[in-house]
Amino acid sequence: MPLASWHANAAGYRQLGLRYDDLLPEESDTVQTAIKRLPAKEAYDRIFRIRRAFQCSLSHTLLPPADHTKPEDDVPYLSNIIVEVEKEKKEREELDNLVVKK
Amino acid sequence: MPVPPAFVILANQRPSNQRIVKLFRHPFCLLSFALPPQLLLPLQFPPRWALSSTSPPTSISAHAMMLLRSTFAQNAPRALQTSTVRGMASAVAPGPRYDVSESAGVKVANRDAPSSMGSLILVAKAGPRYQPFPGFSEALESFAFKSTLKRSALRITREVELLGGEISTTHSRENVVLKTKFLSNDLPYFAELLAEVASQTKFPAHELNEHVIKLLKYKQKAFFANSEALADDLAHGLAFHRGLGENIVPGLEVPIEKYLHVDAIAEFAKQVYVKPDIAVVGSGPNSADVSKWAGEFFKELPSSPSSALFKPRPNVASKYFGGEQRVSSKAGNSIVVAFPGSSAFGTSGFKPELSVLASLLGGESTIKWTPGFSLLSQATQGFSQLRVSTKNHAYSDAGLFTIAVSGNAAQVTAASKTAVDTLKKVAAGEVSGEDIKKAAALAKFRALESLQNLDTGLEATGSALINGSNPYDAVELAQAIEKVTEQQVKDAAKSAISNKASVAVVGDLFQLPFAEDLGLTV
Repeated sequence: MPLASWHANAAGYRQLGLRYDDLLPEESDTVQTAIKRLPAKEAYDRIFRIRRAFQCSLSHTLLPPADHTKPEDDVPYLSNIIVEVEKEKKEREELDNLVVKK
Repeated sequence: MPVPPAFVILANQRPSNQRIVKLFRHPFCLLSFALPPQLLLPLQFPPRWALSSTSPPTSISAHAMMLLRSTFAQNAPRALQTSTVRGMASAVAPGPRYDVSESAGVKVANRDAPSSMGSLILVAKAGPRYQPFPGFSEALESFAFKSTLKRSALRITREVELLGGEISTTHSRENVVLKTKFLSNDLPYFAELLAEVASQTKFPAHELNEHVIKLLKYKQKAFFANSEALADDLAHGLAFHRGLGENIVPGLEVPIEKYLHVDAIAEFAKQVYVKPDIAVVGSGPNSADVSKWAGEFFKELPSSPSSALFKPRPNVASKYFGGEQRVSSKAGNSIVVAFPGSSAFGTSGFKPELSVLASLLGGESTIKWTPGFSLLSQATQGFSQLRVSTKNHAYSDAGLFTIAVSGNAAQVTAASKTAVDTLKKVAAGEVSGEDIKKAAALAKFRALESLQNLDTGLEATGSALINGSNPYDAVELAQAIEKVTEQQVKDAAKSAISNKASVAVVGDLFQLPFAEDLGLTV
């Protein structure tokens, strides 16, 4: 979608080398669990991107265009795990509230 | 009444879940539909009546009598039956026999015992003997009944809870065993569950990291806190080196994290849960039902390993080596002295005289408040902080005859010397015929009891099926033990003592003896 990619570029996170999933608020049990479940390499890369972006933000600069996140790299890597964790939680809640009909 | 959404999910998901729906109808409710209303009315007495000692109105007691009489009438023939069986206890009654069949390429054995309870287990040739890397059997065992492609681990747990059953897993040196016990109506559900675990477990990385590895570390700690188990494991290692000698639980210093990876374990599972290498063994339900449901659910399993990666180690014939190993430990003091033993019943290395010799040496009494007749418990009667036991560990192609002594270091030192001397006495023929007779009777009892026992009997049967021998037959086994002569027992002791021993010593090594001190050659 051209409009969507225009919006993603205009949002500015790609110029800081971030991916969309790096922006998800992580102050919840669900997301914390999901972050723990990331493969080691993904978790390392995520921290690297966040630190680099933070540095850029402090120095009021953008990354050189070669380091911008390319649209094909901007893929969900965390949200699919979040969905899984949410599903598990929902299932537990449903089973906990199960009413046995005799 | 509106049906709660969670329940709808549970009930609609798979066909065999209809059993859960059935469960919700309590048998008492069915009974209440079947009874005439005049009988039901008096049952709704106030609770006060139930507590007080005043007798109920006569009309109720008449109905109660009716109920009582009918239930008694049903049970009476059964009670008579048991008494006749008891009367025949002196002869060997034809024990539980297994109906062996093959459905959809899977070996199925079942013993048909009329009962309201059933048990179905899956035995897979995936124990430490066959694992490609350390910890794989342990991990495979822990991954059983975890998330599958169809449902999550939590859902499996809750469904089993609702049905009222029991699921558990164990592994021996040769097999990984998945066990289920259930009310006999639920056979299809549990057959499906076992097949699902074997063929469709998901092996997600987070379950390995969050559950399996953590549990494995606790198991390791528990294992290494038990000096006798550790000494037994070391003795196996000395006796067989690889194969049967692999650690049953990976050692604390083994870098399991290096080996355990979900993809590797998933691949291993695919290679071991294949039709020729598993057996489904049941007890309780109807044999026709067992083979029908096993055929229906297990037909999706592959019939041969699909790739060469992480495949189970090939079956190399076991060879006995022997040797000595001493390990310092604060967990306790144990010495295990081991000799070549008898393999499982039905294999070429089966020597019934060794199970008689094991009962003769003994060490553990089967009767309360008496040391018993066994030679070792007689010889170590003066020691108060000591445990002695003699066992024959039987495997598919070899066995290990072990004498384990554990307890206080000084007493272990003295008693292990006594134990070896006793064995030498038996070898020299200094043992009364009466003791051997008692030992033969106890050996027969133990063998038959372990067959009868759900935990040991079913696995032994499954293991026999996978390894191509016949399942245990109680009558033949009893006859084999009865045929053992005194001379055979003495010869067995002689050949044990003349062989190289495997001696594992764990504990306070400053006090504990060397094999040389015990008078053994290693």
